[in-house]
Amino acid sequence: MLSTAKIIEKNSVPSQTFLVHGMPDVGLVGVIAASHLITEYKMVEMAYMDSEFLPPVAVLHEGLPYAPIRVFGNGSLLITISEMAIPADSIQLFMRTLLDWGQSKNPRLTISISGMPIQNRQDIEKPKVFGVASNAALLKMLEDKGIEILHEGYLVGPQALILRYCAEKNLPAIALLAQSFYNYPDPEAAAAALNEFVNVTGKKIDVTALLEKGEEIRLKARDIMKRTQQEMTKMKKGQEYDLPLYV
Amino acid sequence: MENKKKKQSIYDMIREYLDEAEKLKEGIPTIERPSWDLRACTLEPLSSIFVTPKEVIITADLPYVEPQSVKVEPINSDRLEITAAMKRKVKFKEMGIVHQEGEFASFSCQTRIPMPVDMQRMKTNFKRGVLEVRIPRKRSYKIPVE
Repeated sequence: MLSTAKIIEKNSVPSQTFLVHGMPDVGLVGVIAASHLITEYKMVEMAYMDSEFLPPVAVLHEGLPYAPIRVFGNGSLLITISEMAIPADSIQLFMRTLLDWGQSKNPRLTISISGMPIQNRQDIEKPKVFGVASNAALLKMLEDKGIEILHEGYLVGPQALILRYCAEKNLPAIALLAQSFYNYPDPEAAAAALNEFVNVTGKKIDVTALLEKGEEIRLKARDIMKRTQQEMTKMKKGQEYDLPLYV
Repeated sequence: MENKKKKQSIYDMIREYLDEAEKLKEGIPTIERPSWDLRACTLEPLSSIFVTPKEVIITADLPYVEPQSVKVEPINSDRLEITAAMKRKVKFKEMGIVHQEGEFASFSCQTRIPMPVDMQRMKTNFKRGVLEVRIPRKRSYKIPVE
């Protein structure tokens, strides 16, 4: 019997890489972006999370069972992705476990990719991407790269915890947050976030295929979006709309 | 005991009542429905409803849809039906499902509107694959401010 949660490595995991987190959240921006990176870079499964707090779920791919929260990698990049909505009650434990494991790999930079919900998303042609960071030097790096900083406000969900834990442990971390639909899968927002990922990391990634498959992704992602929305409600995700207390 | 009763305000009573209702709700076994209807060949779109002081706004995500096929029809005073034909039929297999056969040609859903609205003044807009329906709220009374 597991006592909490742990990451089980299946392959030798490289250290000193970029560590990207693509967790289910608004518009499924992180999951769509991470999934595109995994496909384009032909990354392989390196590790997975096991926990008694995970629902009794196996994700089937070509007939074989996999854990819903996995880590993919290649020589210079590690990506964590969840193929199911993360239960709100377990999110603190899961993010802490991923971060503690990530810390042991001494990443160059932890990057969370996610969405920032806006009400008039239909009217926006190109979603803007905002940045936040775990320290002042990284904020300056983002500004130097032309990424607008989210100066005040609330973050709720996986990226909020990742940033907080990284700041607490003095680990370099940023979050790239694209303007997105709240509860509709948003491949365009994922593509916008990936363009800034390229800007920050210098890696090459073509988002043309992602944009071309936009409608197909929106169709296939309906069920995970629906379940993610239920968990976001439990996390009080709507707080991201709140005006910050700034006096 | 009497003291305890005296201290209980109307708010405490309402809270207790709501807690009880929540517990009862949790106890009712429900079977989750899939987001599709094989017999009708329809998919249920993701949708949401917002209530503002002046209107009720319903949105629905409708990928693969022909804009001119989108229909929004009031069924009665508090229920709306949204239907939309897809550009082409989508098979289960294309969505990665091989243990079932079937195909879907349209989206369909019904939405309950939680307060009185003026259906005659409903406005619709379809942009970026998302339908937006705006319906003005009905005001049945006004409270004068002294």
